[in-house]
Amino acid sequence: MRLSRPAAWLAAAFCAVLRVMPALAATPWTVTRLMQALAQVKSVSGRFEERQTLHMLNAPLVSTGTLSYRAPDQLQKITFSPFPERFVLEGDRVTMVSGPDQQIHSFTLAEYPEIGGLVEGIRATLAGDLLTLDRYYALLLTGDAANWQLLLRPKSAGLTRFVKWIRIVGSENRISAIDTEESDGDRSEMSIVEDVHNAG
Amino acid sequence: MFTMQARRVALGVWLLAVIVCIVIIARTRLETDMTAFLPRSASLAEQVLTEQVTRGVAARLILLGIEGAPPATLAALSKSLAARLRRQIAFAYVANGDDASLTGTRDYFWRNRYLLSPGVVADRFTIPGLHAALQEDLGLLGSDLGALIKGSLPNDPTGEMLSLSQRLARSPRPRSQDGVWFSAGGRRALLLVYTRAAGFDIDAQQAALAQIHAAFQDSRRTVSGAAAVRLVESGPAVFAVQTRATMKRDATRFSLLATAVVTALLVYAYRSARVLVLSLLPVASGALAAVAAVSLGFGFVHGITLGFGVTLIGESVDYAIYLFTQTMHGDSAAATLARIWPTLRLGALTSIVGFSAMLFSDFVGFAQLGLFSITGLVAAAGVTRFVLPDLTPPDFFATGAGVLARPLLVVMSRRQWLRPAVALLVLAASVVLLAHRGGFWDEDLTKMSPIPAAEQRLDQALRHEAGVPDLRYFVVFRRSGEQVALAESEAAAALLERLVATHTLGGFDVPSEILPSDRTQRKRRATLPDAGELRARFALALAGLPFRPGIFAPFFRDTAATKRARLLTRADLPAPLRLQFDSMLFERDDGWNVVAPLTDVADPKRIVASLAASGQQGLTFVDIHQESDRLLHTYQREATLLASIGSLAIVILLFIGLRAPARVAFVVAPLAASVIVTAALLTLNGGRLSIFMVVGFLLIVAVGSNYCLFFERLYHTPESQRRSVASIVLANLCTVSAYGLMSLSGIPVLHDIGVTVAAGTFLSLIFAAIVSVRVPLERLVGGEAPHSLAGPP
Repeated sequence: MRLSRPAAWLAAAFCAVLRVMPALAATPWTVTRLMQALAQVKSVSGRFEERQTLHMLNAPLVSTGTLSYRAPDQLQKITFSPFPERFVLEGDRVTMVSGPDQQIHSFTLAEYPEIGGLVEGIRATLAGDLLTLDRYYALLLTGDAANWQLLLRPKSAGLTRFVKWIRIVGSENRISAIDTEESDGDRSEMSIVEDVHNAG
Repeated sequence: MFTMQARRVALGVWLLAVIVCIVIIARTRLETDMTAFLPRSASLAEQVLTEQVTRGVAARLILLGIEGAPPATLAALSKSLAARLRRQIAFAYVANGDDASLTGTRDYFWRNRYLLSPGVVADRFTIPGLHAALQEDLGLLGSDLGALIKGSLPNDPTGEMLSLSQRLARSPRPRSQDGVWFSAGGRRALLLVYTRAAGFDIDAQQAALAQIHAAFQDSRRTVSGAAAVRLVESGPAVFAVQTRATMKRDATRFSLLATAVVTALLVYAYRSARVLVLSLLPVASGALAAVAAVSLGFGFVHGITLGFGVTLIGESVDYAIYLFTQTMHGDSAAATLARIWPTLRLGALTSIVGFSAMLFSDFVGFAQLGLFSITGLVAAAGVTRFVLPDLTPPDFFATGAGVLARPLLVVMSRRQWLRPAVALLVLAASVVLLAHRGGFWDEDLTKMSPIPAAEQRLDQALRHEAGVPDLRYFVVFRRSGEQVALAESEAAAALLERLVATHTLGGFDVPSEILPSDRTQRKRRATLPDAGELRARFALALAGLPFRPGIFAPFFRDTAATKRARLLTRADLPAPLRLQFDSMLFERDDGWNVVAPLTDVADPKRIVASLAASGQQGLTFVDIHQESDRLLHTYQREATLLASIGSLAIVILLFIGLRAPARVAFVVAPLAASVIVTAALLTLNGGRLSIFMVVGFLLIVAVGSNYCLFFERLYHTPESQRRSVASIVLANLCTVSAYGLMSLSGIPVLHDIGVTVAAGTFLSLIFAAIVSVRVPLERLVGGEAPHSLAGPP
């Protein structure tokens, strides 16, 4: 719908960008261009390694697995170690298979804002969906096309209760890292090596 | 024929009786509880059906949908409406998916998790058990669920809340958007409202709906951009209120119309206002006496008895018609009465005998109808006999009645030729009935339901969107005490859990999940180690795991609090859980019934087999659809049986009253013929008979027997016979127009009875005129041409 009306979309996006970060609006590598580049990606998947530093634990937790995205709204994270787990987001429904008995949990993003805000931020970035991103987060883009960093800071008090910030690092339309810090100080650093990239 | 004194006594007795009846009626309790129309010897399964229909939580549910605006506007309206409704005493629980609708339940389970969770077993609190739990926690913490459990982990390292909420989440929930429940696509915001009043209390339900409408209007005014928003509603209460309103509207409309038509007919026939009023005296007195008698006999009067009963004693309008119309010039009403009384008495008796079979019914409702009609007809006949003659103007003659009778007199004069035609018609009707395929009974319950198909579809849609399961299957049992019942519920839950594991069913609810038995609660409380012991074990269980020391202090605090806490009782339940609990466990007749709803049942037979094999006593599997079908069959059987016994009793009475088999045959033949032909007409083109039509058949016999008796008797003069025919025609015109108008109603009960009685009594009139008359034609016609028969001599 949005793509079928590119003019309207561009205008809306432009306004959003002007409002969000007027200082950067004039520089050549803009959030708008980044989003356009990311929106080109139809599907992508890669291996990840996640390193979590949690306040309850005195040692970091490291997990590995694969991450994949398919436009417009499918996100899948499969963890191999240390415990097998599967996380699938489709539309606004999350299906998780986890735990020792591989129990299935199903819920919508709106039901669990603890997860919802975070997941929505990452997915909107992958989708190049500036409107959604702008609704939830204040955006700050640094670096250039070859090596950029997009910082997301939640706008609403509700989201601030759970997420302090999300930082996405990449080059052109490829993403190489997603780091997050939650409000209680817990941090996660995830590095991604893409192996299938379809920007058709 | 009476002395002046005797007349005064009769009038005085009547007035006194009317006053007594009014006093009794003023103190009468009117009930609309459907249980009166359930068998007195109800099985547990039938009780479950009634409980669900009347008192259960499902019957208190009103489903609301708000639509016609963007989701944000609908969400704001939903929150505003819910807030308003929660302030009102009429609603036990209002859920729209916001925090307020969920926190009560969540808090209850969270605070009492160590008494409620089946995970609280001794093994779990040993050093290896705690170590395993902590290892699971570590896995979860690193997973994507980590953010969810992080907050509760310091309080709940053994994951009791997680296992409780997994059980709770088994029932489907609507999706949330902007903090409230929505249908897919965000088209409709959804609310579930539970009334405090029971489902059968239609007055209270109507008031609750009015409160909802008012609150919605207020909310719409306060939320901007909501002017075009609509409220849609469904649920048993909505249906009950709508049905009653439609019934009331139709009944009022058609009885007003019928009154107008009957009044016009009587005005034309009598041309006297006083006699017009007098003609209502028997039926009105009969109704008063009937209500009073039922009130005395049963302690209450059912709404259905009242509505149906008046229909049953409607023939008493005819009594006055027979008296007034058969009074001849120069004749007094008293003399006329003396002449026709034997016939009138026998006619009234046949109806009384016909209806009396209902007295012995297993259904309180039918028994009430029996007493109602018997008392009503006795009183009406009594008033006709002892009160009416003295109130009738001395020179009264029903001037207009004669004209009405002319067409029938023509039929009667040709009756020798018409008799074979009747025989042929009955033969054809019999062929139609015999050739009828696929059963005579209408077994589709929805066709008996007065709820329009569009409303039923909306109900389905709202239920689906709101995730309200279709409660069809239940496991039920009965125990002597509350605690025994709860203990049995725990055993049943274990059994059902195994069936869920094998996908025989999707899920279930039992009362013990909300409130375990005291014994289980005590056991769980005792399972928790003392504070010192727990700390010691926990410290050892933490060995080798990366948890920071000291973060689990809330866990020791909460377990210690549970060790000190008293046991949970029903009073501790938050509103939504109490609602659910009370509909699953309730006391009836010195016993405690447990009703556990099952959802997504894949294989009913396997559940029955598993229950039987379990060795647990008295666990019954109930399929509500099957039960209601069976109940319908019971009704059909009961109605047919009562109608058959009633008809047989009438024949026996006729033998006693007429004393000659030939005469009985003249009376019974037209009645049988009209019932057969009416049944054939109703089932033509594959039509089916409803239970209401059977009631109609009994009415045909009750009303029609009067016609036959008046046709069959001998008259001293042709004129008295002509007056008799005129009275029958007038009576029949009133009956046919009243019931004919009723048949125009879209409500099945009104339509079915209306069409059956209108057609059947009209046929009775024609058939009786052709078959029952025994006197030779010459005597009847009296040498005059038929067209002048109706005039004065």
